[in-house]
Amino acid sequence: MIELLDDFVVRSVIAGLLMVSIAAPMGCLMVWQRLAFLSDTLGHAAVLGVGLGIWLQVHPMIGVLVIILLIVISLSRITSFNNALSETALAVTSHTGLAAGLILLGTMPGQSVNLESILFGDLLATTKTDLAMIFGTVVILLFLLAQHWRSFVAVSVSREIAQAEGIEARKVQFLMYLMIALLVAVMMKVMGVLLIAAVLVIPTSSARLVSRSPEQMVLISALFGVLSLGGGMLSSFHFDWQTGPAIVLSASFLLLGTLVVRRLVRGVG
Amino acid sequence: MTELLLKASDISYSSNTGNILESVSFELHRGQITTIIGPNGAGKSTLTNIVNGLIQPQSGTIERVDNLRIGYLPQKVYVNTLMPLSVERLLQLTRKVSETEVDQALAQTEVTYLKHRQVQSLSEGELKRVLLARTTLGNPDLIVLDEPTAGVDVTGEVKMYELIGEFRNRLDCAVLMVSHDLHLVMSKTDQVLCLNRHLCCSGLPESVSQHPEYLALFGNQAAESLAIYTHHHDHVHDVAGHHHD
Repeated sequence: MIELLDDFVVRSVIAGLLMVSIAAPMGCLMVWQRLAFLSDTLGHAAVLGVGLGIWLQVHPMIGVLVIILLIVISLSRITSFNNALSETALAVTSHTGLAAGLILLGTMPGQSVNLESILFGDLLATTKTDLAMIFGTVVILLFLLAQHWRSFVAVSVSREIAQAEGIEARKVQFLMYLMIALLVAVMMKVMGVLLIAAVLVIPTSSARLVSRSPEQMVLISALFGVLSLGGGMLSSFHFDWQTGPAIVLSASFLLLGTLVVRRLVRGVG
Repeated sequence: MTELLLKASDISYSSNTGNILESVSFELHRGQITTIIGPNGAGKSTLTNIVNGLIQPQSGTIERVDNLRIGYLPQKVYVNTLMPLSVERLLQLTRKVSETEVDQALAQTEVTYLKHRQVQSLSEGELKRVLLARTTLGNPDLIVLDEPTAGVDVTGEVKMYELIGEFRNRLDCAVLMVSHDLHLVMSKTDQVLCLNRHLCCSGLPESVSQHPEYLALFGNQAAESLAIYTHHHDHVHDVAGHHHD
């Protein structure tokens, strides 16, 4: 059984399935709380983390996690109770992180940094260590999600009602930021910093069109995620496309298809 | 005296958006309906936010009994169109409640027919009644209502205040509400807090309505409302606005 993991295709399929299974609930929460932009910011700024990680000769993922945690903590400090994260603060952080990271990586002496794999990820290059890290993170995140699901949904609907009725909205929110940070750090290796947000947001948007409860939206997002993964990997093998972009593109086609089908169904009904 | 649920002593609050409260003190008791009245910008919502624990006063203390269960109807709820949400699920937002309880709650405000509707498709008035029903779930000790009748017509308001009185009797809870309907409030309330950044006066409606500061704030309106109060209808409206002869 375990020797199956020697096959890179098996490893990347498992990594992909783990990724879409966690992207569905996390993506829904982020869309509900209008945090989709946050994953984008964290992804971009993660480039600086990779740079720092390599520069300090620790694992790049540790550099990423440190940078992302710093950003998440400072962003949540400057956010008042009722406001969503300021778009300006997010945009500034995003591009500053990306620019600083690119310069740092560019000045790295004697290092052959594969910028392309940082930006777009490389699902097919998933190692056993990567797989173990992804698996561990997904288990932790799913556990936290299961434990706090009602609070997460309540805070997404109305922070005021949730807080008044005994849910510590601020703590719940902060926990969610930490979870997003962890998710981005681990997804980066597979999807690349530029495409993480797409995997979180596009299947979720398709699911919104055809679901009638928060939980149903999560399940349908996961289904759309699996279909996008399948479509992306197949087209990647078949046409020799890069895997990450191929997955995102299949997700977009599914969204388009869902929109069309829904319109046709409504037109008939 | 009935059980003391919450005691605010000398609380003050100011924010950069201009919400100001100066040394406000009051008590909330089980079984009592307390109404906050006051002009716009008087700090009414700020005060309910402090009671709810959404914001902390900068000075003074708020003491609550342990595990005080609150049911809250905010003044305005921004419906999140990004999340599919049925009325039934909205009622279970912060607590797990049984289907029977959901049905009973919706029946109180005559919105049982909305149970399976999506929240996004409700009108403002419908949403208000659903959210009012929601506050009664999970045996609350205190129901906090921020302008429960905004967006409801005048005769619907009368019905709604009666309903709030029924909630209090049935659940044996305290009610704290913000209201602009002086004439209606005065007849249905046990305690009035007349607020204009500081507590102008408080106490029984009869004594508050004769207080000089109250008359200075609401003099004209108080006189007009008397006329409305003594006017009788020859038919009744339910909360939904349908009328029966």
